[in-house]
Amino acid sequence: MTTIQAALSGALLGGLYALMAAGVSVTWGVLRIINLAHFGLLLLGAYLTFELASTWRIDPLLTLAVTVPALAVLGAALQWVFDRLGITELNSLLLTFGLLIIVVQAISNIWSADFQRMTAEVNPYATEALHLGRLAFPLPTLLAFGLASAVILSGHLVLTRTFLGRALRAYAEDRAVASAFGVDHRRIGVLLAAASGGSAAIAGMLFSLGSALTPATAFEWFGTVFAVVILGGVGHLIGTYTAGLFVGMLSGVVSVVLSPAAAPFVLFSAIVLALLLRPQGLFAVGTAR
Amino acid sequence: MTREGSRGMARGGAGAMTRGIAGVMDRDRAGAMGRGLARVARRRALIAFPLVIAGMAVLSLYRVTLGFPLEYLVLLTTMLFWITQATSWNILSGFTGYFSFGQAAYVGIGAYTTAVLFGRHGLNFYLTILLAAVLSALLALAIGALAFRLRALRGEIFALLTLAVPFILAALARINQSIDGGQGIIVTVPDFPSGVGLFQDYLYLLNLLVAGSAVAVAFWIQHSRFGWALSAIRDGEEVAEGLGVATFRYKLLALLASAVIGAVGGSIFALQIGFVTVESVFHLTIPLFVIVMSVLGGRTHWLGPVLGVVIVVLLQDRLTVSGLRQWQLIVLGAVLAALVVVAPDGLYARLRNRPVAALIAAVAVGLGWLLVPGTGLLDALLAGILAAALVAMWPHYRRRTAAVASVGGAPVNGPSADGLSADGLSADRVPADESPVVMGPAAGAEPRTDGPAPSAANETELVAAAAAPPDTADASSDRASSVRPVVLGEPLIECHEVARYFGGVRALDGVNLTIREGEIVGLVGPNGSGKTTLISLMAGSLRPTRGTIRVGGHDLTQLAPHRVAHVGVARTYQIPRPFASMTVRDNVAMAVMFGRSPRSLSAARELAEGPLDVVGLGEYADSYPSALNLHQRQLLEMARALAADPRVLLLDEALAGLTPAEIDNAVAVVRRVHASGVAIVLVEHLLRVVKQLATRIVVLDRGTCLAEGDPDEVLADPAVVRAYLGKRAHA
Repeated sequence: MTTIQAALSGALLGGLYALMAAGVSVTWGVLRIINLAHFGLLLLGAYLTFELASTWRIDPLLTLAVTVPALAVLGAALQWVFDRLGITELNSLLLTFGLLIIVVQAISNIWSADFQRMTAEVNPYATEALHLGRLAFPLPTLLAFGLASAVILSGHLVLTRTFLGRALRAYAEDRAVASAFGVDHRRIGVLLAAASGGSAAIAGMLFSLGSALTPATAFEWFGTVFAVVILGGVGHLIGTYTAGLFVGMLSGVVSVVLSPAAAPFVLFSAIVLALLLRPQGLFAVGTAR
Repeated sequence: MTREGSRGMARGGAGAMTRGIAGVMDRDRAGAMGRGLARVARRRALIAFPLVIAGMAVLSLYRVTLGFPLEYLVLLTTMLFWITQATSWNILSGFTGYFSFGQAAYVGIGAYTTAVLFGRHGLNFYLTILLAAVLSALLALAIGALAFRLRALRGEIFALLTLAVPFILAALARINQSIDGGQGIIVTVPDFPSGVGLFQDYLYLLNLLVAGSAVAVAFWIQHSRFGWALSAIRDGEEVAEGLGVATFRYKLLALLASAVIGAVGGSIFALQIGFVTVESVFHLTIPLFVIVMSVLGGRTHWLGPVLGVVIVVLLQDRLTVSGLRQWQLIVLGAVLAALVVVAPDGLYARLRNRPVAALIAAVAVGLGWLLVPGTGLLDALLAGILAAALVAMWPHYRRRTAAVASVGGAPVNGPSADGLSADGLSADRVPADESPVVMGPAAGAEPRTDGPAPSAANETELVAAAAAPPDTADASSDRASSVRPVVLGEPLIECHEVARYFGGVRALDGVNLTIREGEIVGLVGPNGSGKTTLISLMAGSLRPTRGTIRVGGHDLTQLAPHRVAHVGVARTYQIPRPFASMTVRDNVAMAVMFGRSPRSLSAARELAEGPLDVVGLGEYADSYPSALNLHQRQLLEMARALAADPRVLLLDEALAGLTPAEIDNAVAVVRRVHASGVAIVLVEHLLRVVKQLATRIVVLDRGTCLAEGDPDEVLADPAVVRAYLGKRAHA
């Protein structure tokens, strides 16, 4: 029973990882920018929610009205700069690494390096849980899963069903040809980066609902998020989503069955195996690239 | 030779030959001088390096006598630690271009091994250093064996893997509390010889030893075959592999060196900090610092990281002293971001360009700073260094634009611009058979109403070649010259039922082809017919989906790609891919150095003269590829391929985008190469050229072999004409 509980809770949490990874995956796949600064945006989203909820007594979910536009603009601005500078894929790693460090340190200067958590009175969701027989699911996890799924699936629909999505996919496939057919890469890039920034705000908010925050959290996301990105196939949203659920479930089960210490290893081995067997991603189907 | 030489010399490298011996001697002298200078610089470094180390050791050993403040020694110790780490990073990431974000893994392994075994279990301190090196090397082997095997996305995947590794190790250490007892480990002071003075002196000397060795290793690597291989990997890994560089092995060796150096530095770091926790050694600031330092100083030179360390550590120290500690990382992050954009090549190269101005700025600002009341020596030092750095970085833009302007007529890039200027020069040299005969009824082709659009160029060529047999003096005299008749020798390459699929696309399906000694095989076919795929298969850079390819008795599918060069197959690329960081001579020398019988750099440079003369690029031996035009780059491709001493040379559209005059020159070069006993496979769209050169023609169409045989017969074959012109043409 605990195993089933762990698997389900893990999978629900995996939805959040998938949302975190989605932004990284799509900007990598379409714009060829490996955006480590995305982790900075995630962290910023979490801290902004924390701040708005704690100081202004705004319901955490409603903070999205502020954080989503703010981070969307920030993400778009970054992409505009990257585009202007003509950053290559490898240089983007270095550049965004520098930016990430700036963001993390700035957050640490503002909010201190200590753990911060929204108190129960400003975060009514933290203490709730849904009980199904002997299974129990904390509300933050459920919310995270639901919202993350909604965002990713609607992103997938946009990519597959709209003209904009087709233009994006064309651009990911062959930049020169897409440009020749009138796909304005600058506008597309900025739009996509804005969407990615917005998703970071949502993911950050969801994370802050259920967990305590510390600036170093951004680095702790690295392993899991990149595992999801690589397993899902760079640029594939549905693949990322599936991979997120898979990784979450795997971590959950391994933590319970073996030990929490083993989870990172299993995850790492999963990446390694995936890279060896299917470098294009284990769950890569549809959408970009 | 002279007849060849007088043809098609409108422009380009072949001009050197007509200029005769004087030109050759000039060039030799210039080359020798350049190389002499490099040797002097190297000898100077060899003398200066031990002196610097000895001087730094004296600072500690006679610290009291010299009155050298202990706080400076502490600062120097910090610098030495970072020099070790930055050099460790640079050996792999700087030299090969594979960015690693995992420096913390080596430091962590080193520090943890020492802390646990020495600090907790009382093992001999020096033994723990050794164990740390071994453990780190094992980790590196595992990472390398995995990441370097991958073909797609290698650089990115490697970066991400290395990013993840420290976090996984940190999680392991944090969760398994049996490792560090859960609280962190106190590392006591080991016994050290009493003669060295204080513990700080001991620490300093240990760091000096390790950092000195690390820099020495980097110096040695850069000046050996190893270093050249790493540079070639950075400039073009696939090309390097094709030339016979065992890229996998060299990358793994570099990774090993990097890991061992990093871990040894980490072991000593455990002593330095005295209390080892997961946070203190696996932290992401370690790769950040190391990357900033190396990028700032310059990634391609052994001295670059040292330079970066001095600046960054000094800056960090001053920021801490000024109470701006929490701004340290923000400043460093900003420096990294700015550097990537403004000066990705780093300070070292810039400083070398204007050492005097930088020195003057450093001294002036430094002294000026000292006059400001309330500032210390270190502040002045930092101010001076920053001033020098600014001066070195600043004028770059102006200089670059000036350089572009001065190159002017000989365009650096873009075949189109090249073609334009060349056309202007050689308009009078357009051969007679180039004039369009597309309307000629003899061709049997339907006259087209849309005129000779660019896409119709192939048809024009084909029709001209098939319909008008030796109709110009030019072509017929060429034919009569050296090439035919040919005595066919033993088979060199045998393709048997070769197929290659890309997903669902059948690029090649069941191709049989034998290349014999003494042949020039023209490989023609419409676009997308699988020509380049076949070349890549024969060069070993692609593996066939089905079928076998044997080269001189070796099964190509069993051969590592770099070994293909050693069994006698060399190729050129359709779009030239020279090693951008090396001179033309060194580009060719690379192929000699890593050829069948490995040679030293100096020997290889001597031998590189031969191929350069064959293609007529001798004049440009000391230029960089960026200064060559498209034609010359293609000649460089050929020279580099020849330098590997191949038995078969695969030319992949080596004539694409050239002007008629350049084509004539290239044809002459190909003949010379063939005359020296090398069989040639020629992929070419210009049927005039193929007809002139080839002893046999193979026509590919949609992945299969459509026709094969004597050029005249094959090109007159209705099936071949149809493949090129479409069905209607022959109706």
